[in-house]
Amino acid sequence: MNFDLDIFMDALTQRAPQYLVEHLQLVVIPLSIAAFIALSAGIILTRPGFRHLADRVMVLFNAGQTIPPLAVIAIFFPFLGLGYGPAILALTIYALLPISRNTIAAVSAVPREVLDAARGMGMTSWQVLCRVELPLSVPTIMAGIRTSAVLTVSTAVLAALVGGKGMGAIIFAGINFFRPELVLAGTIYIGAMAVAMERVIAFVEWLISPAHLK
Amino acid sequence: MITLDRISKTFPGTDIPAVDRVSFQVNAGNICVFVGPSGCGKTTILRMINRLEEPSSGRITVNGQDIMSLDPAVLRRTIGYVIQQIGLLPHKTIEQNVSLVPELLNWPKSKIKARVTELLVLVGLDPGTVGRKYPHQLSGGQSQRVGVARAMAADPPIMLMDEPFGAVDPIVRIHLQDEFLRLQQHLKKTICFVTHDINEAVKMGDYLIILNMGRLIQMGTPLEVLTEPADDFVLNLLGDDRGVKILDLTRCETLMDRDRNFPYNPDSCLIQSVKPVKIALELMMKKNIDQVGVCKGERIVGVLTWNSIKEHISRVSRDRP
Ligand SMILES: Nc1ncnc2c1ncn2[C@@H]1O[C@H](COP(=O)(O)OP(=O)(O)O)[C@@H](O)[C@H]1O
Ligand SMILES: [Mg+2]
Repeated sequence: MNFDLDIFMDALTQRAPQYLVEHLQLVVIPLSIAAFIALSAGIILTRPGFRHLADRVMVLFNAGQTIPPLAVIAIFFPFLGLGYGPAILALTIYALLPISRNTIAAVSAVPREVLDAARGMGMTSWQVLCRVELPLSVPTIMAGIRTSAVLTVSTAVLAALVGGKGMGAIIFAGINFFRPELVLAGTIYIGAMAVAMERVIAFVEWLISPAHLK
Repeated sequence: MITLDRISKTFPGTDIPAVDRVSFQVNAGNICVFVGPSGCGKTTILRMINRLEEPSSGRITVNGQDIMSLDPAVLRRTIGYVIQQIGLLPHKTIEQNVSLVPELLNWPKSKIKARVTELLVLVGLDPGTVGRKYPHQLSGGQSQRVGVARAMAADPPIMLMDEPFGAVDPIVRIHLQDEFLRLQQHLKKTICFVTHDINEAVKMGDYLIILNMGRLIQMGTPLEVLTEPADDFVLNLLGDDRGVKILDLTRCETLMDRDRNFPYNPDSCLIQSVKPVKIALELMMKKNIDQVGVCKGERIVGVLTWNSIKEHISRVSRDRP
């Protein structure tokens, strides 16, 4: 197997870029859905009445993390078939754990005396959540979202195997036709996208982090 | 006015009640001090008054209203609370921390701003430099003052103060105590004050409530408690200098002899009748004399003698049989 620079440059500049937007969708959509679910779950599971459920739900999310994404697609195949939808679903399940785990850890780590003071001054539970618990949890929650984002960028490559397209299309084409030029071109984009996502989210994190940490 | 009627609290998962059938009343404008060893239930009692804890049984009323019939958040905005662990919000500046309750009450911005400045000055902090800082940039003593300022911000008629001067050094503590007592003379707030320091309790309290293991052991004015300790626990708590503490709380007019004539001359030793006996004693020791004239304004009203002081102390502070 030899490396053809012309094919590589062609793949890098002509063939791969068209998959970028698709791949970005495969990352942003599952990540948004997962962030919404995981944040909600994390917040609910740190409320006084639900705290005892937190461990069990985390076991469930942990299990979600250990199932290979392809297996998730196989499990849901009878209901959802192949293609874009199942890929999104599998990636969403995959992205849940880091965000919910970090949300629970962050909200639980808000010092008791701070919550006490906030309640003692007359904040409602809702005000305590929005003005104290969440702002103080931003750095840890965002770290979870970053982890999930990077994870999803690379996992989304597998979507191509079930017809979900994305950057995986060019990588698997390269594998099937013994063209390392294609694999390398796709991988470069995946790596770049992972780094870019990480930086963008880190910037957002800095923007919304509580002022005393800046 | 605050009343507790046979209040008990047993925390879930424990069998010994943290507070055991405690009843008392705090009158409007008074400082009531709760004193007792660590773990005796002082904090729990305070936290039941603003509904941060629910009593297992009993009834609490504030100004005649059963607090269980009030919205907890609304109730808490009318009760200033200084928490033992200070608990400033770490992501808010000092100004924002002090503004908390006025903001919840929707005060206009300009009024809040003015009030925050006033309060920071009041607790001895410079609004210009400290106001924009974050809690982690403050010393323990400074944080504690911010905690007091925050609790006073909306001028609540009732204040719950849980060891409010515990984190400051002794010199600053005495200063804050004096300052607070001076303020209280015109503010006339109804205050529940928790401390484990008997000296602070005697100094700050119009009324003392002595607790041990969740039970109310004795209540009364500091002088009542000092002169008539209910049992050995209270006696122990009061310390070895009970007699001296009594002299600090007894006015000269109480012990003076009204019938004796005091030879008046320009050098004679005089003391105002409302001064504590302790001050008269100091005077006697300094001048090496054994009597001072007691006066009301310019007029001599009696004589306080070394002997009468000695007899008084030996009478009131003799150990119980
Ligand atoms: N949330 C809680 N759960 C269980 N026990 C508690 C809780 N809070 C306080 N206690 C117990 O109740 C007792 C009284 O505590 P506290 O009111 O804090 O005492 P103090 O303020 O006088 O030091 C202690 O034995 C303490 O361990
Ligand atoms: Mg306490």
